[in-house]
Amino acid sequence: MNKVFNINLGGIAFTIDSDAYEYLSNYLETIHNHFRASEGYEEITTDIEARMAELFQERLENRPIVTLQDVKHVIAIMGTPEDFGAEPMGDEAPKSSSRGKWKFKTGKRLFRNTEEVVIGGVCSGISAYFGIEDPLWVRLFFVLITISGGVGIPLYIILWAVLPKAETASDRLAMRGEKANVSNIGKIIEEEVAHVSKKMSELGDELKSEFGSKKKAPRRRTILKENAVLPMAGFISEPPLPRGFMF
Amino acid sequence: MRKGILELCILSIISDEQEAYPSDIIKRLEESHMIVVQGTLYPLLARLKSAGLLDYTWKESGAGPPRKYYSLTNDGHEFLDGLMDTWNQLVAAVKHSTRSLTANKKAK
Repeated sequence: MNKVFNINLGGIAFTIDSDAYEYLSNYLETIHNHFRASEGYEEITTDIEARMAELFQERLENRPIVTLQDVKHVIAIMGTPEDFGAEPMGDEAPKSSSRGKWKFKTGKRLFRNTEEVVIGGVCSGISAYFGIEDPLWVRLFFVLITISGGVGIPLYIILWAVLPKAETASDRLAMRGEKANVSNIGKIIEEEVAHVSKKMSELGDELKSEFGSKKKAPRRRTILKENAVLPMAGFISEPPLPRGFMF
Repeated sequence: MRKGILELCILSIISDEQEAYPSDIIKRLEESHMIVVQGTLYPLLARLKSAGLLDYTWKESGAGPPRKYYSLTNDGHEFLDGLMDTWNQLVAAVKHSTRSLTANKKAK
């Protein structure tokens, strides 16, 4: 016994065994991944899917259900992406250059990193772009060119105005030049949660110390941390301003 | 060495049929053992199209979803002519260089 799925492949409806379905979607995923970087990605993949649908139709004739064997057979006819590459027409050079270009265009982008800001997040955005661990070095660089030539401040303001904020998870991935796939987005979301909880506890500490110093009630700290900070979560996206005025 | 030859075949098949459905192109390429796996064709068509050598139109088919029919653009015709010239030169050159070999074979 086997569970079946109903799928739409290239505009044609098929009923397909669950194991065959798994196999087919794996195959199509590798195809998509292979061509994602190429020009005409959408066309290539939809054409391949349409052709596969045709092959299934030819092969099924009057059988109602696509089996794993059918899928394997059709994949053997279509070939794997490695087969396409190994074909005499592989034409490695233009392919890799177009891939490189694409990477330059959308793989990595300069953003303002709003997670680590002192003024506008320009320096931390730049350090994320170049893979520099600590934005402090970029900030130091800005300080240095400000002192030595005075171009630092206007340059910073221009960059601040020009660079977009890294707002979504995929922006932040693009900022670091990572691909936006499911696992990476998951990573970003984890980081976000960690970031938010860090900010929350920082705010909690601040409130505690303020509360503690003014009211002299240090014993109530823990209660505050748990209860009073949570409703303030909406404010933490804008980090507190002070922390050294320079960049 | 086979670089460009598959393109040449694809372009000439399309020019021959005027409007060609990819599956028919595959059939003809397979007849002449030009391709090993069918998936090879699609990235090539996409590349030729983005180079402005091919264009396609959607046509309703009797059964199933509409189909793409590829045809050569003016540039495509020119390019094919150029390729054909290069090919003929190449064939002539190879024939010329290997004529002693083939002559020997015949003699044997």
